[in-house]
Amino acid sequence: MNTQVSLDLKVMLETQGLCKYWGGLKALDDISLQFFDKQLHGIVGPNGAGKSTLLNLLCGHYKPTRGSILHKEEAIEAIKPYAFARRGIGRSFQKTNIYPGATCLENCCVAVQRRMGGSFNILRSRYTQKVLDEIASEALEKVGLGARRDVVASQISYGEQRQLEIAMVLATSPEVLLLDEPMAGMGHEESQLIIELLKTLRREYCIVLVEHDMDAVFELSDQLTVMVDGQHLTTGSVDQVRDDPRVKEAYLGQGDEVF
Amino acid sequence: MLFNKRTERIFFWVFFPLALLMPLFLAENTFFVSKLTSIMIFALFVMSLDYLVGRCGLITLGHAMFYGLGGYLFWMIAPEYEAVNFWVYTFYICMIAAAVALIIGFLVLRTSGIYMIMITLAFAQMAFYFFSDSIEFGGTDGLFIYVKPETSIFGLSFFDLDNPTHFYYLCLLSLFNTLIFFRILIRSRFGRVVDAIHENPGRTTALGYNIFVFRLMSYVIASALGAYAGYLFTLQYGFVNPSMLAWTTSGSALVMSILGGMGSIYGAILGTFVYEGLHYVLEHLTEHWMLFMGALIIAMVMVFKNGIAGSMEKLLEKRT
Amino acid sequence: MTTSLFLVQLINGLQYGLLLFLIASGLTLVFGVMGILNLAHGSMYMVGAYLVWYFVEHTGSFGLSALISAVIALLIGILMERTLIRQLYRRNHLDQVLLTIGMIFVFNALQGLLWGNDPLGVAVPSALSSAIPVTDVLEYPVYRIFVALFCVGIAALMYFMINKTRLGMLIRAGESNREMVECLGIDIRKLYTIVFAIGVMLAAIAGVAAAPMSSIVPGMGEHILITCFVVVVIGGMGSIKGAFIAALLVGLVDTFASILVPQLSSMMIYILMAFILLIKPQGLFSS
Repeated sequence: MNTQVSLDLKVMLETQGLCKYWGGLKALDDISLQFFDKQLHGIVGPNGAGKSTLLNLLCGHYKPTRGSILHKEEAIEAIKPYAFARRGIGRSFQKTNIYPGATCLENCCVAVQRRMGGSFNILRSRYTQKVLDEIASEALEKVGLGARRDVVASQISYGEQRQLEIAMVLATSPEVLLLDEPMAGMGHEESQLIIELLKTLRREYCIVLVEHDMDAVFELSDQLTVMVDGQHLTTGSVDQVRDDPRVKEAYLGQGDEVF
Repeated sequence: MLFNKRTERIFFWVFFPLALLMPLFLAENTFFVSKLTSIMIFALFVMSLDYLVGRCGLITLGHAMFYGLGGYLFWMIAPEYEAVNFWVYTFYICMIAAAVALIIGFLVLRTSGIYMIMITLAFAQMAFYFFSDSIEFGGTDGLFIYVKPETSIFGLSFFDLDNPTHFYYLCLLSLFNTLIFFRILIRSRFGRVVDAIHENPGRTTALGYNIFVFRLMSYVIASALGAYAGYLFTLQYGFVNPSMLAWTTSGSALVMSILGGMGSIYGAILGTFVYEGLHYVLEHLTEHWMLFMGALIIAMVMVFKNGIAGSMEKLLEKRT
Repeated sequence: MTTSLFLVQLINGLQYGLLLFLIASGLTLVFGVMGILNLAHGSMYMVGAYLVWYFVEHTGSFGLSALISAVIALLIGILMERTLIRQLYRRNHLDQVLLTIGMIFVFNALQGLLWGNDPLGVAVPSALSSAIPVTDVLEYPVYRIFVALFCVGIAALMYFMINKTRLGMLIRAGESNREMVECLGIDIRKLYTIVFAIGVMLAAIAGVAAAPMSSIVPGMGEHILITCFVVVVIGGMGSIKGAFIAALLVGLVDTFASILVPQLSSMMIYILMAFILLIKPQGLFSS
């Protein structure tokens, strides 16, 4: 690690020599990173750098070919995908991934109910649980969807669906938030909304943010990692990374006009 | 509210009172009473399948396995020349069928989609050969049930199973209870997760649910009720045979469930009555009724996707 | 079991397995390329058998009848794809199941209407009607050996077609990525029609080949269809190689089970399937 971090920060999530191969293709090669509590860790890199693969490994969706993932110093790479969420590792998806047929409130209720218990209760009505509704509403308020709680999710705008996506993750009351391009496909104003939201969230959670919008990442990140071709290029503060000549080269080499 | 759609309430208040009064008009016509009884029994079976396919998104072509199992189980566990208690044996049969479903479900639910369709079918076929090839189970002829159970609870007996009208009411009660049970199940917190899994399994896993367990539980519940329907069938006709487990039983149940309106539960009753009604009419018109039935099924898939319940809802529900 | 009996059963098992492969390969091909589960696939096996019976009755020549039957099957396949199957590409599995169940009803009804419900039989063509003596008391019919070799020939032809020709390249591309084939500027609809028709024809050819070996009865299609499901499930959905190995496995297990464990003989292949599922839920050769 070439990063200077104050010692009072707690490591929430850590990867050690993490690899993911698809046949002969090295989607992710030997990635060792530390993610700290109450910090926002941005991950950037050109297309195909392995950012989404990394998130998919961190949330248990893929199993690593090699290496390990530590959550609070416990190796978790072998546990079942659903167990990641139960440990408090929540994720949002790059492609909007909600329950389009249900109301926004119901979307969040599914998330809340997981930790409130009673999911195996086949007699108790789902509509009589006020506490559940309240927590779900809170999550909606937090992302600014309070007014849309009873609207069916397929009827709200794309930007709002992205917000709902985050609300659902928040409703599971996670400790770690893995956000996969939360601003993808959003207009400027909508993005601004998410940025403001993330500013309030980043001192409450350990956030891993994969995002193409460089301005947003620079504005939000406490730490920044650059990845290229499945490899770790550098990790550091925003300023350190910005001035790193290798980073510029990597992006210029890809033809992306970012800096 | 137990029924959250107006169409559903209308159906409920039309069908059940009508069914309740029906035997009064048909007092002498026992053929018609038992025809209606058998349709209600099959509707119960279709309902359990509708829950599995329409609500849980688990497409199975092997549900008839449990229908047949319900019948054979009764023959296996009940003494041959002694009237047993109907309710006690209902409990036994549902429990044993649930245990079998737990094992088979564990294998079948590891897969999904088309794979699952083929595997459920293959398992059902295995059960079919198990019963049709064994001499102990009467081979392809099946077995006779000589003594029907009695139905007393705490010394009170309301139904005489040898009386077709009594049996009719027992089946109506069973159908009613099953409908209410599924409505409660769907409305429950468990039902919320099942709906979520149906709509977006990946997301539901990401929220921390072990979707396999929910699917397995649904499979077990639906299978136990499917077996209950088979048990009723066996009591009605006094025999059990392998054709109950044939894949055509599963196939036609699936068609009825779609015809009624997939996942609506009450649509299963509509679908079964309409299908059986058509079957009855066509069969009397021509010996090649299968041709028309086939054409009807094809037409249904092409243009009548929402089924009867779906089309009624379109007409009757207020637009939101 | 004596060595010669073992040998005869071995050939029987292989020959049955090869016939199964002929049907299962069509099923798995159609699924792999088009994503369609065709339950009416078994009906085409039945149609093949009935067609060849009908033409043998009228022409007297098995070879000619087989050829006509195959061509008719191909035409039926094209017609089915163009009118009904085509509607299913954007539909879910349930609609596929229902529509093809509807087709089974129609095919069964037509069979009853055209040819009645009595069992029928086709004589083994005279050129192949002799038998090879295995021991003093055992002999093996030449026709069965011919069918086995014919199936091997078809398998080899398919292998060549899929791996060496342009059509095969498209099929392989279609299996891995359907959108990509469309992007290549290929008329995917035409490809689908061809693949579906070939699949259907393979099932019908199997029906033709089986006709002189077994009686032609209503419901023969459904029976063979479910056996083919077992083959495809064991082999891995969409894998032709898997279908080949699984078909031989199923053929051998089924044949030997009827001698070794006659009480369980019909169930044996399903038990085999359950075991394989426990170990590999996606089948032996899933992609």
